[in-house]
Amino acid sequence: MLITSGRSGLMKEIKQIIQAYEEACIHKQKVALATVVHVEGSSYRSPGARMLIKEDGMLTGAISGGCLEGDALRKALMVMMQGKPLLTTYDTSDEDDAFIGVGLGCNGIIKVLIEPIKQEDETNPVMLLKAVLQNRQPSVLVTFFSMDNKWSENQGTHLLLKENGVNMQRNTTPIDFQRVLEEAKGVFEKKCPFFVQYSSSENELNNSSLTAFMEYIEPTTSLVVLGAGNDVFPLVQLAEVLGWSITLVDGRPNYASTQRFPTCQLVVSEPEKALQNIVIDDKTAAVLMTHNYHYDKQVLKALSAHPITYIGMLGPKKKLDKMLEELKEEGTDLGQKLLHIYSPIGLHIGAETSEEIALSIIAEIKAVFAGKTGGYLRDLLGRIHDRNTVTIDTVINA
Amino acid sequence: MISSPIYLDYCATTPCDPNVVQTMLPYFTEHFGNAASRDHNFGWLALDAVELAREQIAHLIRASSKEIVFTSGATESINLALKGLIEANEPERNHIITSKVEHQAVLDTCAYLEKKGYAITYLDVDEQGLISLDALEESIQEQTGCIALMYGNNETGVLNPVREIGGIARKYGVCFFCDATQAVGKVAIDVNRDEIDFMSFSAHKIYGPKGVGALFMRSNQPRAKILRQQHGGDHERGNRSGTLNVPGIVGFGKAAEICSKEMHREGLFVQRLRDTLEEGLLSSIPSAYVNGARNRLPHVTNIVFPSIDAEMLLLAVSKHVALSRGSACSGITQKSSHVLRAMGLAENFARSAVRISVGRFTKEDDITYAVKILSNAVSDLENKNNVDRELIHR
Repeated sequence: MLITSGRSGLMKEIKQIIQAYEEACIHKQKVALATVVHVEGSSYRSPGARMLIKEDGMLTGAISGGCLEGDALRKALMVMMQGKPLLTTYDTSDEDDAFIGVGLGCNGIIKVLIEPIKQEDETNPVMLLKAVLQNRQPSVLVTFFSMDNKWSENQGTHLLLKENGVNMQRNTTPIDFQRVLEEAKGVFEKKCPFFVQYSSSENELNNSSLTAFMEYIEPTTSLVVLGAGNDVFPLVQLAEVLGWSITLVDGRPNYASTQRFPTCQLVVSEPEKALQNIVIDDKTAAVLMTHNYHYDKQVLKALSAHPITYIGMLGPKKKLDKMLEELKEEGTDLGQKLLHIYSPIGLHIGAETSEEIALSIIAEIKAVFAGKTGGYLRDLLGRIHDRNTVTIDTVINA
Repeated sequence: MISSPIYLDYCATTPCDPNVVQTMLPYFTEHFGNAASRDHNFGWLALDAVELAREQIAHLIRASSKEIVFTSGATESINLALKGLIEANEPERNHIITSKVEHQAVLDTCAYLEKKGYAITYLDVDEQGLISLDALEESIQEQTGCIALMYGNNETGVLNPVREIGGIARKYGVCFFCDATQAVGKVAIDVNRDEIDFMSFSAHKIYGPKGVGALFMRSNQPRAKILRQQHGGDHERGNRSGTLNVPGIVGFGKAAEICSKEMHREGLFVQRLRDTLEEGLLSSIPSAYVNGARNRLPHVTNIVFPSIDAEMLLLAVSKHVALSRGSACSGITQKSSHVLRAMGLAENFARSAVRISVGRFTKEDDITYAVKILSNAVSDLENKNNVDRELIHR
């Protein structure tokens, strides 16, 4: 199975933005949403990075490493007062630009769409983001921007498509829905962002050319941890920082307790039935760290029936070998599944303590889902980020 | 579009007076002539309009019209005066006296001259923002070619004892350059009474258009001389080359004329508004205090709201009121005001200072509204600070 670079890390930012938005609604504060919609050259954040700006100047999320936020904040306050979207362009290749600051090391042209959010609109951009989070389905979020009129009112986050066919759109969507749907299918297939240029036909007088940024968003990584001993704490904490959703499974209710793990979903069960109520998909990682040979073995057996692409198990290679042999004797041949078993678990970073081991496990899961091997970036030839983009030109016949 | 915020930043710039705009309009289209065209009616009309403006502006500062040189703004006037006069001086007159609270345009020009080998003395100010006249007199040397001190400070409004400074300069035969950008049109200025030799100011601070300024150059007793800094024609008696911005100059003249007539009444009006504003803020925010409280320009106040980050405060209220932090800042490196630091304010207090300036079109209701908005915003931020502090100590 081909796994393209996952962008599930965005989910945490989206969650935080939704939370900040809901707080703003309670206090009747205006907000604007800034989205990186296009990058030429290099930049710290790629298209899809978002930041929510409240009218009191509070920021949630980020569109850069900190150099553009101050200016974007001021532009966002202006957008709230003007009540219409603005596409703002930052050229970080200009070393003399005192506005952004010298010596960023970045060398790119970044386009940021800043749109006012109408809280009474049930399909406003934040509502679309909220729908992105609902159910574990890949989404395509469509944001329109105009290269030739930075104040074009047709700009904005307008459309959300789910892989299972459930869609949500704003009533003012500037491009015909069916047309967009066609291109969106390709995004689900390629799992990378698309840029679709909708140019107006030549005889049209007004400047209505629009670009659609079709963003592919995977569901958040789901971490299922078997075992709720004390060595699990650092793993849970790191996964939380990354915004992953976490499920803890253990047979001992005094271990898998809300008191010990208030933010996790908890399952207290014997190993055979442990997975019955857990959704396991290709963005789920299972980590076996019960320190109980029998429990681990039974869960491994149960997992082999699921379309899972990461199963990590604590313990030496001997343990896994023994386990596989026993399972084979019992009639369970893991076959192709073996490719997805990582044991001993973790990246080779010299981890000793439970905190360090947690780091090596988390890094391994990240690398596996991103289709990378780990290692030093300095040894890498070529680009760090696969920013595969597809650009399609379409002509609108008015 | 939602209604515009209330503008309380008249020290940054002012809206053009509608009468000024009306006077300017014909000079864009109908009377578009070049004031340097000497052989046709278009040129004659343009020149006539420029000369009228020159008189109107000269009248406002009690100068003679031939002593006014038009420039693109106060910054250019400052550069022209300081560089021009130091270059026109005998080489041994290579010392300039200025102060630590001058506008950036003066300080940057002095820093440039310092690099070129000239000696600069930067006078200290006390906590009220005032220089010591004794220190000024003591710093005068045989080589001193110029005293460059402002009329009224752009951040605090503090007025210098200009007449005394002029007296000292004359006594020692040193040229007195005064940057009066904030004071012209706001307080009665008399360049002869104050014995000023050069004075810079601009149109957009007195309800005129942006992009036009003037330099007053004394023509006799004694005659002030400069070397031109811009070549390309004998415009402005050879002091500043370049085609004159006729509509801008016409607007500048009209703006000066209105100020001459209204200045006294308007001064009392804005002072009352400013005082109401200060009283309102000081009574609703007990920790607040005013910087440089003694003799100030009537329309500006500089207030510290301790423990409040001024940038956060201004952005938070930007929907309702437009204010500023000291002088307009540039770049991302947050630098606190050099003026307030020179007055001995600690870094954290200087970061909490806000400049509020009123003007011709400010209404009493605006002041009431601004006091309410600011008091609420300050107490919100104070509460937020307290919550943060609790979180840290937990």
